[in-house]
Amino acid sequence: MAAHGAAERQGMTNSMLGFILFLASEVMFFGGLFAAYFIARADAPAWPPPLTPEQIAEGVKLELEVVLPAISTGILVVSSITMQYAVWQIQKGNQGGMLWGLFISLALGIVFLAAQLYDYTQLHFLADDTIYGTTFYTLTGFHGAHVAGGALFIAVVTVRGLGGQFTAENHEAVEAASMYWHFVDVVWIALFTVLYIIK
Amino acid sequence: MATVAVPQLSGYHRPAVLDWITTVDHKKLGILYLYFTLFFFAVGGILALLVRTQLAVADNSFVGNDAYNQIFTMHASAMLFLFIIPVWAGFGNYLVPLQIGAADMAFPRINALSFWMLPPAGILMFAGFIVDGGAADGGWTAYSPLAQQTGVGMDMWIIAVIVLGMSSTIGAANFLVTMFRMRAPGMTMFRMPIFCWTMLVTALLQLLATPVLAAALVMLFIDRNYGGQFFDPNGGGNVVLWQNVFWFYSHPAVYIMILPGMGIVSEILPVFSRKPLFGYKAFVFATIGIGGLGFSVWAHHMFTTGSVLLPFFGFMTFMIGVPTGVKIFNWLGTLWGGSISFPTPMLFAIGFVSMFLIGGINGTYSAAVPVDFALHDTYFVVAHIHYVLFGGSVFAVFGGLYYWFPKIWGRKLNERLGKLHFALMFVGFNVAFFPMHMLGLDGMPRRIAVYADSAGWEALNMLSTGGAFLIAVSMIPFLIAVVMAFMRPKDQPDDPWEANTLEWATTSPPPHYNFDSLPPVRSERPLFDARHGDEAH
Amino acid sequence: MLRMSLPRRVRLLAAATAAGLLALLATGTASAIQPGGITDEARLMNELFWIVTIAGLIVFALVAAALVYAIIRYRRKGDELPPQFHGGGKIEVAMVGVPILIVIGLFTISMITLVQIDDKADDDALTIDVTGFQFSWQFAYNLNDLGTNTDPNAEGTIAVIGTPANDPILYMPVDEPVEFLLKSNDVIHSFYVVDFLYKLDLIPGRVNSFTVTARETGDFRAQCAELCGTNHALMRFTVRVVERDEFDAWVADEAARQLGEGTLVSSSGTQGD
Repeated sequence: MAAHGAAERQGMTNSMLGFILFLASEVMFFGGLFAAYFIARADAPAWPPPLTPEQIAEGVKLELEVVLPAISTGILVVSSITMQYAVWQIQKGNQGGMLWGLFISLALGIVFLAAQLYDYTQLHFLADDTIYGTTFYTLTGFHGAHVAGGALFIAVVTVRGLGGQFTAENHEAVEAASMYWHFVDVVWIALFTVLYIIK
Repeated sequence: MATVAVPQLSGYHRPAVLDWITTVDHKKLGILYLYFTLFFFAVGGILALLVRTQLAVADNSFVGNDAYNQIFTMHASAMLFLFIIPVWAGFGNYLVPLQIGAADMAFPRINALSFWMLPPAGILMFAGFIVDGGAADGGWTAYSPLAQQTGVGMDMWIIAVIVLGMSSTIGAANFLVTMFRMRAPGMTMFRMPIFCWTMLVTALLQLLATPVLAAALVMLFIDRNYGGQFFDPNGGGNVVLWQNVFWFYSHPAVYIMILPGMGIVSEILPVFSRKPLFGYKAFVFATIGIGGLGFSVWAHHMFTTGSVLLPFFGFMTFMIGVPTGVKIFNWLGTLWGGSISFPTPMLFAIGFVSMFLIGGINGTYSAAVPVDFALHDTYFVVAHIHYVLFGGSVFAVFGGLYYWFPKIWGRKLNERLGKLHFALMFVGFNVAFFPMHMLGLDGMPRRIAVYADSAGWEALNMLSTGGAFLIAVSMIPFLIAVVMAFMRPKDQPDDPWEANTLEWATTSPPPHYNFDSLPPVRSERPLFDARHGDEAH
Repeated sequence: MLRMSLPRRVRLLAAATAAGLLALLATGTASAIQPGGITDEARLMNELFWIVTIAGLIVFALVAAALVYAIIRYRRKGDELPPQFHGGGKIEVAMVGVPILIVIGLFTISMITLVQIDDKADDDALTIDVTGFQFSWQFAYNLNDLGTNTDPNAEGTIAVIGTPANDPILYMPVDEPVEFLLKSNDVIHSFYVVDFLYKLDLIPGRVNSFTVTARETGDFRAQCAELCGTNHALMRFTVRVVERDEFDAWVADEAARQLGEGTLVSSSGTQGD
């Protein structure tokens, strides 16, 4: 809706500014979860924390397999590049190029989610197995939900793109979806680093 | 990009209720916010009276210990989450677009969404009283592990607070975009009305702090329902973690609750002193300073946990006294040399300054770490928080209501009733809350349902209870004034107070699209300029 | 004329209330805090409390006086506009400078007191293990660790356990440092002895400790200061500060009694009153 009687400033639109502010709040949400993880980990005498005999008897193991998530990380990074490719193409007015970028990003996003779910089934611990399990599933779960949300966003943008709604001048939704996707990607890289790499 | 000013079709009248439910007009949403929050002010007030009745005499059994814990928890939850925080969204919704000369908020439909998230959350929170185990009873701070022990009412509370937080987060983004992008021509950032500035900083705090609360509440929910171990030391979790994440939000939240009140007072004082705000830029920077420092003082709520870096947080807590002190100077300097009249809004504004002064001074006790060891979690802290949030915020709410009532509803509230309201509330407030300082110094912990006769706290508690009921009585002249006002026709001119800011440049109440024309904006007081030309500069 | 006089009455009321509050604050705090401070540490904190209070009262008096003066002196007398002063210059520097000086002064004094309080820890001190539970307290004394003034005379631990209906008594000797180790196994509690002017939380998963030296004998009331559930308000106890020989006699009695009941070593027992 227009600013009646007020001069809308030059540069980005209101919607884009609002979207960036929304992303800032998302950063703070993940910041809160990460802070919890770091405090818990810094405070723990050992990491992963020791298990009770009952947990060991049940076959609980606080271990993570790094290969599949490493591949997933690569997939997500590539999808960020293809997403950016889509933005660059529509900036040049190339709708076809943009659609290819969107399709591939969406497909890679779905592959990532599938790999994540498969990875869950391979783990030998659950969310109630010490703070290790709780933080792992909370962080990756909320990230996964954001990937799913981002994929949905890209799907909507793709459908609108198929309808020819975007031009070189008017493609804000593509840029927003791309920013969101990069955000999700960066969060994942941070997650992958602290959960899988740093021992 | 159509204009908003679509006239109502003359042949068809939608039912008024439907009109209110579907409205995306910032003014109607602002009014809905005000109705909603004042309703929960009443609910929270009734709960407060139950608390005070229970504490009036020693060894009382008016309500049981379980019920007491629910009552004071819901008192605080209603007052903080359902009254004070959203009431500023109400004032902000109504006033920010008008004060910056815009036709509406940047995102009117998202604005409606922000409001309509509140009623379900309020209902969900209070529905706790009818479920097994009762409403949330772990205090509004919901310290873990205690918050793990209580019934499903606690889960409802958690979800309600998350929803309220989402509402204020998206509301905050809306306010920020509105103020950054939709100001009238000529209105630079440093010509924005001071209330807008306080809303801007408040919105920034909400945008950045509220998601952290959401994260904390999510963790608590996972611990309660899915076997999470965040706050369980048996599983390697950390009990104090909750307090860290909770206060990381909730201390900035204290400024979320008071900054717009400071903004309202800083609108009222210049108008009735007939002078500009003394040190406008200093006030703006002090507001930004409070916002920034607000993120670095959270652990002063945790000095007695034995796991806090005491010197750092003590220092930062003292430092936040600096911008607060600057504001006291702003207000005194505004009055100084003025031509001061005392209609009801001005009385509430002066009441705010004097009570907030006490609330600032008794807050320094908690910054002095060794003194905090004695006073933490006693009634001294209860006195402090009420001097800030009642003597401060609530006085500002009523000052704002009396001040903008002519603009919002086109009628003036009766002056004599208003002054009676102020006098009763001012006296009642001090009688209710000043004795709590002494009770705290004498060692009465907060949140206790009963105290022994031998403790010797009965007389002061009885006094305090009397004050609480006097506050309740003070609402009677206010309500009569409101009813009387609504029985009169809308007779208020554009600018009944000889005010300074743009909302007074349009009719009372303003039309749907706000302005027919805008005066030029050459300072932070465009209406003053229009009245007096350049003679007075 | 009534319209004119009403605000003045309100102003007078406000001024009178403010003056009354000031008097109340002074007398109220004085009377409330007088009996406090039975430990060395508390006396330091008491001094700090008074420094903060006096600083606060000076600030309050100055600001309140300026406020009252302004609203009386500068009330509206006519339609003429007052000078439109926007502020700036030296006054704004003072606006920032004065609060900074006040808070830095108070911070420095607080930190000096904090360091003095923390300095008192002593390895040889009598150690009392305090465990908070819903909704009372257990105070355990290791018979091998009763402080330097007494010889270890037995093996084992004696414990005093209270109930919400029957407050426990914590015995401690006067004039010597006593260390408290604070633990909890359920929720957070807070160990608050009013006349120590001190409280410290009992937090599941960690042990907090502090040391005090009491200088007065007598019974002092104390209770949990952190909301801990239904009967939080009933989690009271009494601190009984006694002379060392009286303390030793109490320990001997308790040890003999709990030995007789077979509860000595298992570090549980009944209330020792």
